[in-house]
Amino acid sequence: MIEQLLSILVVGAMISAVYALIAIGFTMIFGVGGVLNLAHGALIMIGAFTYLAATSAAVPPFVGFLLAVAVTAAASYALYAGLVKYIEDNIVITFLATVVVALLLTELVIIQFGSAPSQLLPVISGNIYLEAVGTRIRYVQLLAFVVSWIAIGSLWYYVTKTDEGRSILATSMSTRGAELTGVDLQKVKSRTWLIAGAFAGIAGVFIGTLQSTSPHMWLSPLALAFIIVVIGGIGSIKGSVIAAYLIGYLETASVEFLGPSFQGVLSLVVLVAILLLKPNGLFGRELVHE
Amino acid sequence: MSSATDRLNAATSRATDRLSTVTGPVDQLLQPLADVYNRLFGDYFGEMNGLQFVLIFGTAAALLTAPFWGNFGLVRAMTVAAIWAIFAMSWDIQSGYTGYISFGHSVLSGAAGYTTAMLIHNVNPELSMMITIPVSILAALVVGLLVALPSLRLTGPYFSLITFVAVLIFYRLIPSFSQYTGGETGIQSVEVFTYAPVARYYYMVVPMLLIAVVLTLIARSNIGLILMSIRENEAAVNAAGINATKFKIFSFALSSIPMGIGGVLLVHFSGGVDPTTFIVVDRSIEMIAIAVLGGMSSILGPLGGAFFLIVLRDYILTDIANLGSSIRWTVFWALVLLVLVFARDGVFRKLWHGLDRLGGDRR
Repeated sequence: MIEQLLSILVVGAMISAVYALIAIGFTMIFGVGGVLNLAHGALIMIGAFTYLAATSAAVPPFVGFLLAVAVTAAASYALYAGLVKYIEDNIVITFLATVVVALLLTELVIIQFGSAPSQLLPVISGNIYLEAVGTRIRYVQLLAFVVSWIAIGSLWYYVTKTDEGRSILATSMSTRGAELTGVDLQKVKSRTWLIAGAFAGIAGVFIGTLQSTSPHMWLSPLALAFIIVVIGGIGSIKGSVIAAYLIGYLETASVEFLGPSFQGVLSLVVLVAILLLKPNGLFGRELVHE
Repeated sequence: MSSATDRLNAATSRATDRLSTVTGPVDQLLQPLADVYNRLFGDYFGEMNGLQFVLIFGTAAALLTAPFWGNFGLVRAMTVAAIWAIFAMSWDIQSGYTGYISFGHSVLSGAAGYTTAMLIHNVNPELSMMITIPVSILAALVVGLLVALPSLRLTGPYFSLITFVAVLIFYRLIPSFSQYTGGETGIQSVEVFTYAPVARYYYMVVPMLLIAVVLTLIARSNIGLILMSIRENEAAVNAAGINATKFKIFSFALSSIPMGIGGVLLVHFSGGVDPTTFIVVDRSIEMIAIAVLGGMSSILGPLGGAFFLIVLRDYILTDIANLGSSIRWTVFWALVLLVLVFARDGVFRKLWHGLDRLGGDRR
């Protein structure tokens, strides 16, 4: 029993770290621009498939990883500058356009890579047996955990300690206030999309390695991002990290105790409960129309 | 961006002026016919000019006679389009009119489809349609209320999120109860209405036209006005002493009934249910795309959008251009994206107002 709990603790931490990466990008874009980016899952897919394309072209995995992050960040920026910028005043159109972009990318990936799931080469191979816990951990999982915390740590440093980052924080608190203090809104939004894209790229490689890489892989990370962000409160980075761990542990525990077919159901139930009791999430705030 | 749009608008209005010297007299010629209609039904459905009259009744006539002039592929595509038109119109009376954008409408049609299939599969294969169809529509209504009651407490993106989640919950429950639902492959033992293409076409188109008439009637009535006011300014509606929440729930219930009818038609069209045809989020997005492309909050716009997009996808790109599935969907979504960005109010609304300006006596 103790071993089982310890194993949940360790395995849950690994997957939660990746979930946090997924949710942070999604929540930042909403916090700053008020845009629900339904193409976020598709960006994660771009990350995974860039890594796949790079490693199958004999690029070393680590370089492929960096390449995937760069390409995803660029794709995210292109999505903002080429499309969202022109339509973000209309929430409905933005919703639809981003989800249509995701569906469009799915079809393009199918044309290029076929619809069958692919196997990703892990960034580092090998695994370790944790005797005290009785669980085997892959090095990739450990790497995902470490990279996630490095990314979250740097983001935290960036938005709280640097002026550039503080302008993002300011914009997410009050667009008008930020503008009055001389923040260039366009620049802040572009930067946010770049950061969100980079996070999605990192998440894409790890989700692709640990779970599956297929043209339809965008939906479940998007759903996860949704669930986590709603529970944590839309726009709150701290909330996203906490909710990511909540959901990660909940899923791991329900797989361990109830079986794999209940992996997602329990977190959805929690989500509905949170929505009914606290519609703005644990750390969220009211949607402000400005 | 905006200056380009302005120039485009200026160019189109110049073109309209030139065109209307030709179309004006045509309109005058048809006006008496339209006037008869206006006198009889104008109060209920809104008045139209001669050209608009021709568009509406010409289209209706073309729809009703399609099997006599269309080939097999076209009629089949139009049969499918009729079902999607029902979905898009039902979505429109709720989301288009109230501005509460639902991502979860595929759950409603799915509830009806699954009820029919599960009644036949699990209860009694001999069950008559007289029982399964009303029960299925009722199931859609119940599921609609189950989704609407909690989610309508929320506004804006939060409402859309929870409706999206409703789809996810439904989708994840199907494999969990696969002994009843058939899991990923679904249940394929439902009797189809008929395999005869012409009869099948009318099985779909006649309910669609009836639903279109009823929904237009409601949308043009005071109820429609209240729903639209909720979209524009919910606080003002409440301040006027009208309970906005009641009307939001009513609009959701109102849209679940035709969604249920559409779901039943779809299950008896394809002879079975499975999650990919009925539930997945793509299906909800398709409904929305169709409605937005045709023109949100106009009922007939989504109808036109459905025929335009489905015939394009299932007939023009499939039978005529002979494209593979992925390329077809790529073209489909790319087109939807273009319309979303460049013609936000919908293609058919543009056409309708264009005809209004082309008419002879409106200036």
